[in-house]
Amino acid sequence: MGYVWEFGVVFNQLDLLLAGLLNTLKITGGALLFGIPLGLLAAILRLSTYKWLRVSVGVLIEFFRTTPPIVQLFWFFFALPMLSGIEMDPFRASLVTFSIQSSAFFAEVFRGGIVSIERGQWEAARAIGMNYLESMRRVILPQAVKRMIPAFLERVIELMKTTTLVATVSYADLLYQANNIAQSTYRPLEVFTVAAGLYFIVLFPTSLLVKRIERQLAKTGEGTVH
Amino acid sequence: MSLEILSCRNLKKQFVENQVLQGIDLQINKGESLAIIGASGSGKSTLLRCLNFLEIPSSGEVRLRGKLIGSRQNGQVVYQERDLIPIRAKIGMVFQHFNLFPHMTVLQNVMEGPRTVLKLPKSEYESRAISYLEKVSIPEKRNAYPSELSGGQQQRVAIARALAMEPEIMLFDEATSALDPELVGEVLDVILKLMEEGLTCVLVTHELGFAYSAAQRVLFMHNGVVLEEGSAYDVLVEPQQPRTIEFLRGHSRFQLPASKNSQ
Repeated sequence: MGYVWEFGVVFNQLDLLLAGLLNTLKITGGALLFGIPLGLLAAILRLSTYKWLRVSVGVLIEFFRTTPPIVQLFWFFFALPMLSGIEMDPFRASLVTFSIQSSAFFAEVFRGGIVSIERGQWEAARAIGMNYLESMRRVILPQAVKRMIPAFLERVIELMKTTTLVATVSYADLLYQANNIAQSTYRPLEVFTVAAGLYFIVLFPTSLLVKRIERQLAKTGEGTVH
Repeated sequence: MSLEILSCRNLKKQFVENQVLQGIDLQINKGESLAIIGASGSGKSTLLRCLNFLEIPSSGEVRLRGKLIGSRQNGQVVYQERDLIPIRAKIGMVFQHFNLFPHMTVLQNVMEGPRTVLKLPKSEYESRAISYLEKVSIPEKRNAYPSELSGGQQQRVAIARALAMEPEIMLFDEATSALDPELVGEVLDVILKLMEEGLTCVLVTHELGFAYSAAQRVLFMHNGVVLEEGSAYDVLVEPQQPRTIEFLRGHSRFQLPASKNSQ
């Protein structure tokens, strides 16, 4: 009602927020860098013909999909160093957590894409003498990737927003910086609004991209996963 | 004595509780053309798929040029995927639904085997693919994608893709069943040409007229066994088994003289 918005103090510290954004992007990018290959590996293992492998990888994936990421972060930051002696700093713990956590979600996106490819494609590849890896690389994945893209980008958006949790282990991401500035300026509304705006600036184009790709895939008759 | 390409002995295939093949003996010689006919569910497609190990036989043995495929353990033949891969490369397979790779052009589809499996140099796999596209009379479509082709054209590309591996034998699994009637002819023409050139061919087919005029030998399957086998004339015109007679009568549009003249 009588609230007077005062963005000036926030913009004075924009460099801190941008440094935070850079760290957020570092964690998100790092989680993608490790999470994608790890997720693909997990997806392929979950499709293995060996039941024990299928089941154990499945349990692992479901575990990381169904436990709160903040708890996982605490495990890797607090519990793992205590139990194993591995040294953890906030960046490393955050990176490990979100690489594994996102790989569990990616694994399901990838698996969905792979199983959506008709059996006839596998058979055609086999019939000309391809082995499993050749079939996967040359025939199945190129088709599956197209179908995975929308669901995958959806997960990327989720991932970047979820990385806000790293602030809880004092990793200086965008939200952590916003919090600090809010406390020093007593302007939490302005600070968090600007922070949200920064997330929006990065993620909105991604979201538009998803929509566009979905429309294109619909045009060429390729279904989307999920 | 003709040279044996592919043979099987006492081949059985069981799905969960369903015995689809109940002991098939078969020998296919070099240059021979064999048609397998029978009602749906008679096991003819399964037999074909067991011959190139898209299905793994439950028991019995398969030989390529007399050499046992798989290895014998305690009297049973066991199959390792790595032993089957080079076998499949030597046995061409054409599917009912073509199964072309939709993300590749026509030319890329045909090059894929020579390139990825045979690991030929680019100049070689490219010229080889083009020559097989010419063989199936579709070289002008080389840069099109499968979705831009008619069913008949797609199936001809699928035949070229299999031929590009220069297989010892070609298996056709109801290659014309998914096609509109007016497109069947162009595919059968290609198959006929291959047979005339002396390529060893086995086809599972519902085209009895084509089986009669093109295949040297016809095999009638019923409930997982070969009920009758012989020359096209013997099986299709003068069948001995009541089941065969009944099956042929069921194909009411089957008129031998007409189909022979129409070729």
